[in-house]
Parts: sequence; structure tokens; C-alpha cells
Amino acid sequence: MKIGVPRGLYFYVYYPMWYGFFKSLGHDVVLSVPTNKDILNLGVSNAVDDICISVKVYHGHVKYLLDKRNVDYVFVPRVVSEDKYRYTCPKLAAMPDLIKSAFNKDSERILSVNMYMNQGKKPLLDAFGKIGEKLGASVKSVKKAVKEAMGYQEKAVKCLRKGHNFAEIVKNIRNLDKLFDEPVKERRYNVALAGFPYDIYDGYMNGDVIKHLEEANVRVVITDMLNPKLYKHYTKYMIKDLFWHQANVAAKGGMYYMDSKDIDGVITVSSFNCGIGAIYEKLLDLYSKETNKPLMHIVVDEQTGDAGLVTRIEAFIDLIRVKRGDGLVAS
Amino acid sequence: MPRKVTYVFPRMGYSYAAFESFFQILGYDVITPEPSNSQTLKRGVSNSPEGMCFPFKILLGQFLKVLEENPDKYFKIVSLESYGPCRFGYYSPLYAKILKDRGFDNFEIVNVEGIYPPWYRGIPRFFKKLIKLIGWHTPWTGVKAFLIAGWKVYAIEQLERKLYYLIPREKIVGSAEKAFNRAFERIHHAPNKVKAIKEVLNEELKRMDSVKHVENVELPKVGLVGEAYMLMDYSNNLEIEKKLAYMGVDVDRSLWVTNWTLDRIIKTKEHLNHMLEVNKGYLDFFIGGDGQESIMNTILYKQKGFDGVIQVLPFGCLPETVAKQILSNVSEDYDIPVLSLSFDEQTGEAGFITRIEAFVDMIKDRKAAKVGKKKSTTVASQ
Ligand code: SF4
Ligand code: SF4
Repeated sequence: MKIGVPRGLYFYVYYPMWYGFFKSLGHDVVLSVPTNKDILNLGVSNAVDDICISVKVYHGHVKYLLDKRNVDYVFVPRVVSEDKYRYTCPKLAAMPDLIKSAFNKDSERILSVNMYMNQGKKPLLDAFGKIGEKLGASVKSVKKAVKEAMGYQEKAVKCLRKGHNFAEIVKNIRNLDKLFDEPVKERRYNVALAGFPYDIYDGYMNGDVIKHLEEANVRVVITDMLNPKLYKHYTKYMIKDLFWHQANVAAKGGMYYMDSKDIDGVITVSSFNCGIGAIYEKLLDLYSKETNKPLMHIVVDEQTGDAGLVTRIEAFIDLIRVKRGDGLVAS
Repeated sequence: MPRKVTYVFPRMGYSYAAFESFFQILGYDVITPEPSNSQTLKRGVSNSPEGMCFPFKILLGQFLKVLEENPDKYFKIVSLESYGPCRFGYYSPLYAKILKDRGFDNFEIVNVEGIYPPWYRGIPRFFKKLIKLIGWHTPWTGVKAFLIAGWKVYAIEQLERKLYYLIPREKIVGSAEKAFNRAFERIHHAPNKVKAIKEVLNEELKRMDSVKHVENVELPKVGLVGEAYMLMDYSNNLEIEKKLAYMGVDVDRSLWVTNWTLDRIIKTKEHLNHMLEVNKGYLDFFIGGDGQESIMNTILYKQKGFDGVIQVLPFGCLPETVAKQILSNVSEDYDIPVLSLSFDEQTGEAGFITRIEAFVDMIKDRKAAKVGKKKSTTVASQ
């Protein structure tokens, strides 16, 4: 069978696992194309007005796959939690319901299950077991597939920890071992991006921030590369943990980078109308006052990728150049 | 020497009267923030992160004004919150950080949280916070404070319900409101004794009943759903209930302090299961806030014969935005008009009235058309 996987939201975190699972069961994984104008328009016209742009874009990806007649199912998981007591935002927790509400006629083709991540094998066996059942797989083959799925995810995490970003992981999904062995390129400057992976890695939506930075001889590190153990202690500064796993990653990871000597600056990337972004941005604002580390916010919206953003990124790079004593780029 | 503490709490609708009594019984000074106005809103909006919840901004503005006006006092700011999918759970840390950043240090925040896992930490934390809230008193004083506050909340709600019933039926415009205002003040200042509150309530309900009005008229019925704070605070929802009532509508609000407490704190499990059952196929998961309630109550309103539903939401509210998208399906499938109104600091009175007027006209027409149809079918079958 052909299983469509929308290139949005948790794709940017758990794709390796999903890929490994469906592959092992002998199904083809069909990805939607990277976000483009048509996908965005599809999303905007199918989701409710005031919802965050990331969810709108996701609607576009789902619709794109639903429109492909040869795709049997579109995989829209409900990622409930990503750690013990660390959950996801209400929109993510309602994702299959939102998608079914938007594409009512196609709801039979939406493949959905509740997923509890990073809490051991049992919840994964349960979740994937349900999917396997629907796809007519035997219990034995599901068990094997879950093992393989977890193997893929572990390898991907290893690559992230080493400093490869998730976009590379997607590109090298068939050969993560090779990616792991590749060295990570050093550059003159280091800038950290803090935010939700789906906003950071969707180049079309965020005006290609990673590309722009790399072109300016900046090595880009991202909060998803950090082992959560590294930033646990920032709970104290935050008074209490945030409820949402990814928001904790963005906030605490961002603080960790601010305290890292080799990081020249931090850029947050968030989604317009997210609301949760407002919280970690504020926390990082306050923290940058204490650490004196340059900080910039990029809010992804329907027209982020304009000239204005490029100018802002350039100004940010100038700022860190000056801080390093390198002077401005002659232009 | 410990400084004398003044309490300030989030003002919501008429419930402030009960909160005041609560702290007075415990022997504390208390300041009730002003209802939202341009000055509190300005402060709240300019000091909050732009994308933060509107209720957060509203309350921050109210607290800021109180702090600014009383630099010589030391405050305990009460914040009610939980640990859940909603941003509500992180209000008080942000208040603390923002107020500190603004240079205030004459306050501490007492956040009253529900118990959340892990239990071995949650339960002791809950009691620690409770003690921080009420201080050391004889247990009886604490119980009495809760009891009296509860009774006042209940009494005020009875009066409010009566008010919205009377407004569309009164013979002299404004007479019901006048009776209500008097009744409310009497409950507000009633002695802190259950018996006294009951007596005042009964007297005032009778007095309100004697406002000249017509019984036995069938009016179009509109249910209100949405985010709890916006729904329950008249100063922020631009008195939507009163406005609808004056437009000749029987208005019913789905969330009240009493049923909220019952559903969310006392009978949580039943409530959650009930919602999942009613919402099946529309929203099959817990999302926090009041989003599931909005969907459930819309369906229940339809089943109870209501003619329309208005969803009141703060702009950008996470669970209500989810509900808004799903409500469009509910509205279609159940054939009930739903109007979603988002509020932020820019919501103007004029545009707001136009929208609810248009909605009310629409449901009145629909109702008339239905009644017409029914009549003609009965005529035909005779
Ligand atoms: S966390 Fe923010 S960006 Fe992500 S789905 Fe929720 S509201 Fe949208
Ligand atoms: S219900 Fe809405 S407004 Fe209230 S805290 Fe949650 S997101 Fe904010």
C-alpha cells in the first residue's frame, strides 16, 4: 500500500520512526512535496482563520496527499505526549479531529492513532499495533516493524546529537549510518535556532533562515540537537516547567545556547498565532537581558520570506561579527 | 516584622463579591481590581508578549494598576491555574517575571493549582499552596471562608439568571436591571452567615419577580459557549448576555463558577467522559481549556431546542480555535447556527453589536420560518 506522510508538524521529529515502521511492513511511504505556494494556499483555504500558520500548512500537505488517488492512507497521528508528563499543544492533541473536520469526505483515508513518545516500547507497540491491524499486518510483523522503527529513530537522534540537522536526516533516511560518520562542518560563527522543528526546518515558510545563515559562514545549531539532560536545570529559572515538550526544548535549549561560550547568538523561530511561541520568546528575551547574548525573533507567517527578513538576518550577522571583532562585511 | 499583606485576585464577572468575603473572613485586606477599562487594558497589552492570551493581558493590566496605585502596600496576587494543555498553566510564572522586570517587588504570587502528577509531589504541593493562600487559621475559619464564598457565588448566579430571564420580558425597560443591581449589592454586603445570605437571596428573588413583566412568551433561545474567563466576565465580553437579552432573546450561558467547579474539580471523571461521549467523531481527545465544553454544549443546546449558539473566544486561544474549526461541522450536521466572536483589545462596541444583531435577526427569521412551516403542515393535514 501507499502511505502518505504529510511533510509538516511532527514529521520533523518522528519521520525516521514512521518511515522505518511502514517500510518494514512492506508499504511505500509517499511524502508530500516540500511546502510551496500551492501547499500553503491549500492549507489557508481549508483551515479555520485564526489557527497558527504551522497547522494551516499541515492542512495543505494533508490535502495534497488526499488529492493523490493512488495514496491509500494519509498518516495523521495524534502525538499526545513526548515524555512522561510532557504533552503537546491543544491543536496538536486535536490534529486528527481537525483534519477530519476539514476533509470530512475523505475521513476514511485518514490513518490516525494516539501516540505516546519516549516512554518506552509498550505505548509504541500499542499504537503501531492498531495501525498494523488496520493495514492487515500480523502481530509478529508489527513487532518486528516497531523494532526497526525504533532503530531508525535512535540513529536519527544520534545524528542530531552529533550536530547534523533534521533536514539532512530526511535526505539521508536510507543511510543514516553514513550520515552519522560524516563530519559536521565547522564555520566561523555559530548561531543557535530555538523553536519548534516544524517551523525551523520549513525553509519555504521561514524564508530559508538556515540557508541564509550558512551562506554567511555561520554554523547553525538547533535546539533539537541537544540532549535534554543538558538543560534540565533551567526549570528553576522558569519557575515551573512548561506543559508542552517542544516548548520546553525551545525555551531551555535556547537558554542553554545563550550560556554557551561558543554560540554567538540565538534566533527564535515561531509560528504566527502560535501563542505558545509567545511564552518561550518572552522567557528568552528576559534571559538574554541577563546573558547579554544577541537574540532575534523570526515569526513565520504567510509572507515571511520577503526581503525584510533577509535584511534582518544580515543585520543580526553584522551584530555578531562586530561582537567578535571582525567588523562589518564590505558590501 | 512581617509586612501587612493585601490580597488581590483576578476579577471575573460578579464573582468578585464572593472573593472579597473569602479574604475578609480570613482577616485580610483585599483590593478588587477595576473591571476592564481602557487604562487597565493599555497596561496589560503593552507589558505582555504580543501573542499571549487576551485574558492574560487583561489580568496583568488589572494587577499592574493595583500595584502602581499602592506602592506602599505588599500584595499577594492570587492566580488560579493548573498544569494543562492550555497556557493558563503558565500565567503566574510569567506575571512574576514581567512584574519583576518592570521593577515591582512589593508582591508575591500565590498560585492555586490543582493537583497534577506526579502525585507524590502534586498532593503536598497542593496543600502547601493552600496554606500559602489562606495562611494559618483554625480549620473552621478556612472552611467557613470557602463555604460563605461558595454561597455568595451561588446566590449571585441565581440573581443573574433571573436578570437575564426578566430583561427580554420586562414591561419597563431597565426595571429588571435596577432590581438586580440592588439585589447584588445586598448579597455583596450580606453578613458572612449562610442563613443571612439565604434570607437576602429569597427576599431579593421575590422582589425581582415583582418587576412587571410578561410570562408565557416564547423567545428565540441563544446559548453561549466559549472560553471560561471571557464568557464569565461581563466587562470583557462587552456584556454580551445583557445585550442579547435586550434584543429580545432568552440567553443561556453554559459556564458558571458553580458548574465549572463541579465539573472540573469535583466530578472531573464523569465530566470528561460525558464530553467524549457527546463529542464522539468531532473531538475525541482531551485538549484542555474549554474547547471540548464548547463543542459539547453546542450539541446539548441543539438537543434542548435552542435556536442558535454564540462562541465567545479570546483571539488566538488554543483550544477555542480548535473548537471553532470543528464547530462549523457541528453547526452543519446539527443544523444550528453558530457565531464565533473573537475578542481582543481592539474589539469595538459598534462592530460587535452589528454582528450579534445580524445573528439574532437571522435566528428570529429561521424560527419564524419553521413555525410557519409547522403551521402550514398542520393546516394541510386537517
Ligand atoms: S505549538 Fe504553536 S505552532 Fe505548534 S500547533 Fe500548537 S499553536 Fe501551532
Ligand atoms: S483557554 Fe485560551 S485564553 Fe485561556 S489560557 Fe487557554 S489558550 Fe489562553
